[in-house]
Amino acid sequence: MSGWSQFKAILRKDLIRELRTRDMLVSMILFVLLAMIIFHYAFTVKEGADLTYFTGGMLWVTFIFAMLLGLNRSFAQEKDEHCLDGLLLCPVDRVTIFFAKTAGNLVFLLIIQAVAVPVFALFFIERNFLGDLLPFLIVLALADLGICALGTLLATISMNTRSRDLLLPILFLPLIVPVLIAATGATTLIFAEGVSFGSLVARLLLLLGFDAVFLVAAWGTYDYAIGE
Amino acid sequence: MSDEHDRQDGAVSLEIEVEGLRKTFGRREVLKGLSFGVPRGGFLSIFGPNGAGKTTTLRVLATLLASSGGSVKVAGHDVREDPMPVRKAIGFISHNAMLYPDLTAQENLRFYADMYGVDDREARITELLERLELSARRYDVVRTFSKGMRQRLAIARAVLHRPRVLLLDEPHSGLDPRAVDILDGLLTEIRDEHTFVMVTHNIAKGLEWGTDLMIIEGGRIAYEHAAGVDHDSFSAVYREHVHDGSVL
Repeated sequence: MSGWSQFKAILRKDLIRELRTRDMLVSMILFVLLAMIIFHYAFTVKEGADLTYFTGGMLWVTFIFAMLLGLNRSFAQEKDEHCLDGLLLCPVDRVTIFFAKTAGNLVFLLIIQAVAVPVFALFFIERNFLGDLLPFLIVLALADLGICALGTLLATISMNTRSRDLLLPILFLPLIVPVLIAATGATTLIFAEGVSFGSLVARLLLLLGFDAVFLVAAWGTYDYAIGE
Repeated sequence: MSDEHDRQDGAVSLEIEVEGLRKTFGRREVLKGLSFGVPRGGFLSIFGPNGAGKTTTLRVLATLLASSGGSVKVAGHDVREDPMPVRKAIGFISHNAMLYPDLTAQENLRFYADMYGVDDREARITELLERLELSARRYDVVRTFSKGMRQRLAIARAVLHRPRVLLLDEPHSGLDPRAVDILDGLLTEIRDEHTFVMVTHNIAKGLEWGTDLMIIEGGRIAYEHAAGVDHDSFSAVYREHVHDGSVL
């Protein structure tokens, strides 16, 4: 029994369960689409106004709040059915659980984005940014990893508390600000001006550093986080 | 792993060794220095009122809770220092089935088999589902199962990886008579292969299975005895030691 096969088993279990019930995905997709409609009306102050410079902020605020919905649900199910005890009884390194849960959340977030980004582009982006798709995908990947790593760690910590629904956003939102700043800046630049890698380097490095910090933090603390 | 625990100098080898176990939650001390041992192949039945510390003891043995003091060894390994071999060695049956309701019986067992690295996964799952009379529901999601069927599947989950030690937390709780019969039948079949610790309020079941009996009250061992006590005598002992949450 290797950590890799345990990682795959946990990830497969989470994906089967979610694709069967669609509890998390449906609510996240609905939230994202509704948020876009609301943003569309809230920001259209003048007919034909160019909203391109607001797009990065709108997109990442929507994804972060959508992810909060998903994170709350992903661990609530484990806890409510006492399945977490079953998982913790297994001879599995707790960090493997963290990486599998993070990977699961990452898959769900990517599915949401695959639906949301084309709709978002239709609503808000006037410039054809397909030529800048690669830098956008890199920003997406790095920001998603940070959101999911931090979110999984904090969802684990908060699930053992009585006010987990409240505690998670209180912990998550302030800590995710560096990702929001970097991803919003980079996305807006890509959508508005079409930039080269050179102009994105600082933001990409910030995202990379954030990912590294929270992956290492989870590595060192997850055993305690998921315990009592 | 086991040789060192085989009989040495005529002493009985202990599969579970607990020395001065303490557990606190905040300022509340739930376990106040428990010491006991269970020999290999033994069956310890633990009784006691609600809140006495029975389930906490079991959860420490299962590595689900960290002790606050003392030493606990299961299958020769310290549960705090070396939890992985302990987890491989134990199976845990509780009144909570620990099964994913949106997965099928087969998917649940496959998941746990992969987590424990069971080599003959499909054959073992088929064997257990047949023994527990669940083959016909193999492809049904657990959400559609009755309490008794979930509990039977939970037994399959717990013994899937052929553990040496089985920890049972109120295993008969909420079961219909048929499910109790199936559970008892399975326990009879596997009785000789395992060491057991069972927490129960059911004095008849505890006496029926136990080779050793223990009453925990207020976080302390109030009574210990080898099996061979009849129901009425033990009930009298229980009433003598446990009254309104305090030891008399």
